[in-house]
Amino acid sequence: MLSKLFPERLPSTWRLGLLLAVLMACSTALCISVAGWAMKQNLSSIARTVVLDDLGEYAVLYNRNGLKEIKDVFAAGGHENDQAVRITQPDGTVLFEQIPLAVEGYRWPARSPKKLKTSETLLMTIPHMEKTQELLAGCQVLADGNFLWFGRTDAEDRAYVEHIRGHLWLAGLASTCFMLLPLWWFVRHVLRPVQDMMQSTRKLAEGHTDARLQAPGAVPELRAFATAFNNGLDRIDALTAELQSANDNLAHELRTPLARIRGNLETYHDHIDNEVARDAAARGLEEIDRAAELVQTILTTRAGEHKALKLHLEIIDLRQLLSDLHDLYKAAAEERGLSFVLEASESRWVLLDRQRINQAVANLLDNAFAYTPRGGIITLVLTLHGEEARISVSDTGPGLAQTDLTKIWQRFTRGSASSASTPGMGLGLSLVRALAHAHGGQAGCRNRDEGGAEFWIDLPAGDPLVSANVV
Amino acid sequence: MLRAAMHILLVEDDSELARQTELWLREAHHSCVWRERGAEALIALATEPFDVVILDVGLPDMDGFTVVEQMRVRGFTLPVLFLTARDNVTDRVRGLKAGGDDYVTKPYAVEELMARLEALQRRAQSVNATGGPAAPARMLGRWTLDPLHRRLRSGNETIDLQPREWTLLEVLLAHEGRTLTKKFLLEKVWDIQFDPGTNVVDAMICRLRRKIDEPGQPSLLQTVRGKGYALQAVS
Repeated sequence: MLSKLFPERLPSTWRLGLLLAVLMACSTALCISVAGWAMKQNLSSIARTVVLDDLGEYAVLYNRNGLKEIKDVFAAGGHENDQAVRITQPDGTVLFEQIPLAVEGYRWPARSPKKLKTSETLLMTIPHMEKTQELLAGCQVLADGNFLWFGRTDAEDRAYVEHIRGHLWLAGLASTCFMLLPLWWFVRHVLRPVQDMMQSTRKLAEGHTDARLQAPGAVPELRAFATAFNNGLDRIDALTAELQSANDNLAHELRTPLARIRGNLETYHDHIDNEVARDAAARGLEEIDRAAELVQTILTTRAGEHKALKLHLEIIDLRQLLSDLHDLYKAAAEERGLSFVLEASESRWVLLDRQRINQAVANLLDNAFAYTPRGGIITLVLTLHGEEARISVSDTGPGLAQTDLTKIWQRFTRGSASSASTPGMGLGLSLVRALAHAHGGQAGCRNRDEGGAEFWIDLPAGDPLVSANVV
Repeated sequence: MLRAAMHILLVEDDSELARQTELWLREAHHSCVWRERGAEALIALATEPFDVVILDVGLPDMDGFTVVEQMRVRGFTLPVLFLTARDNVTDRVRGLKAGGDDYVTKPYAVEELMARLEALQRRAQSVNATGGPAAPARMLGRWTLDPLHRRLRSGNETIDLQPREWTLLEVLLAHEGRTLTKKFLLEKVWDIQFDPGTNVVDAMICRLRRKIDEPGQPSLLQTVRGKGYALQAVS
């Protein structure tokens, strides 16, 4: 329930603010209710005393000199404006009545209470006929058997309580505002730096390895954390750079011995008359070429994944690029009894590394060619959406197992549909994705509703001149 | 096809690779001088005339790019073929910008090295040639090549070739008798610098073979296992 009140998707600042506001409102309301209740109790006890005292005084006056004394008091003006005095006979007939304007509108009891004994007092509250106010009324039996009534309205008390309550609300509001000061401090020095750090880490996750945590003005603990974190990143950067150069050296170190072996094997191949030996040498040469290609693929994929791939950017027409690839694969498609269709109606000049994009698309085509049985259809499509281009390769092969949809992009992972006879080391798709990422794009795949798989590469395809300036 | 012998400067710090390459060059009737360092190569260039330089990019004293720059500064215009262990376009472009003329990635095939050397030599000769008789029409078996219409002609018979088929045939003919690697053909015909997993070159060669071969005759286009494809224009 709490999570519904404070949904996770709201930023912490908002959630904290909301929580504090609710808490402050509740506590203010509680304070005001308690204070109001206490004041009311207090005032009503005062009112009882006033009613009882005044009732007693008027009774003494009456018992001493009769109704005349009371009338004299009123004639002299010794009376409050919020108090009413009545004298009735036991049957309810009114002998005297002094009801000021403020005390009008109350329905007095028509009959006098019978069971009341002499000098006994009865207290009652009489609601106003129209307004939400009450009259506290007292009744006493006089010496001659008549009844003395005295009533006092609580209108003034109520107004007083309302007034005080208004002040209390103001005080509550003011204290809430004061409470916001620490919140503001917390947001400025703790939450905002944390959010900035989160942005930096997001950048890091996207491959901007030069991003660092920034925490100026944050609390000392956060600053220390940022410094420690940044130091760690610097170390990782240094290690990565070291690894990168080690990789370059590895490529060099591997290629040179491969070249030596290849050279000797080739000399052997060209000088041997024995058919079996020459065939063995030929197989060896093929394997060496494959190994060299594999080393290159691993290095390119690695560099692409770490955004360390040097791109040789050119302004080229994507349609022309796909058309050339279509041309390259056409003969192979014919040979395999596949129909290979190109759907690219619109030209789009973009800034990219032609060889790398060629390689990425060729990898998707290689997959489609490997998995689509004879008679199938492979479609190479260029779709343009605003500043984005999608190159997709659809086939009518067996499609992908649900579990493979995300897994196949990892290095050395092959789909479950692949068999020992299907070529490849499971590096192709990781290379495709690395090359797409290196261009600021994405790669994806899905199973088509009509059967078969679709793989695509999304590339930014904005104005090449603008991109050139950015790059 | 007659090939002129070249005097070649080989600059390579790996002695085994240098030994092999020297052997191959001598077998192809070229003469060769081997130097291990860039500075030694610059001295060798100043002391005797060479036709071509084969230059490793990763040398112990200075990289190959610097050697070429220094060569060009000193006025040597002879063609340079880079050998490199780094296979990426940026390095290739850097090498060509520095003044190199072509690029071979290790490990390389002997025939690829030879094909590239011949191409460099041919280019150098065509630059130096000052006019001369028009090249005679080229022949492929009984077929005459018609470059204008990308067509093979023999009497009234013609074979029309598609643009890429024509380029493939031209590259094969330019290195007639040489076994050209798949990588070399992909680069020269399709401008592709990687080897696709699908047998695209093989399929293309088969298609071209179906068009140009005579029934009952041995094929003009040979596949050499482990090495590549070779064209014998005159069977």
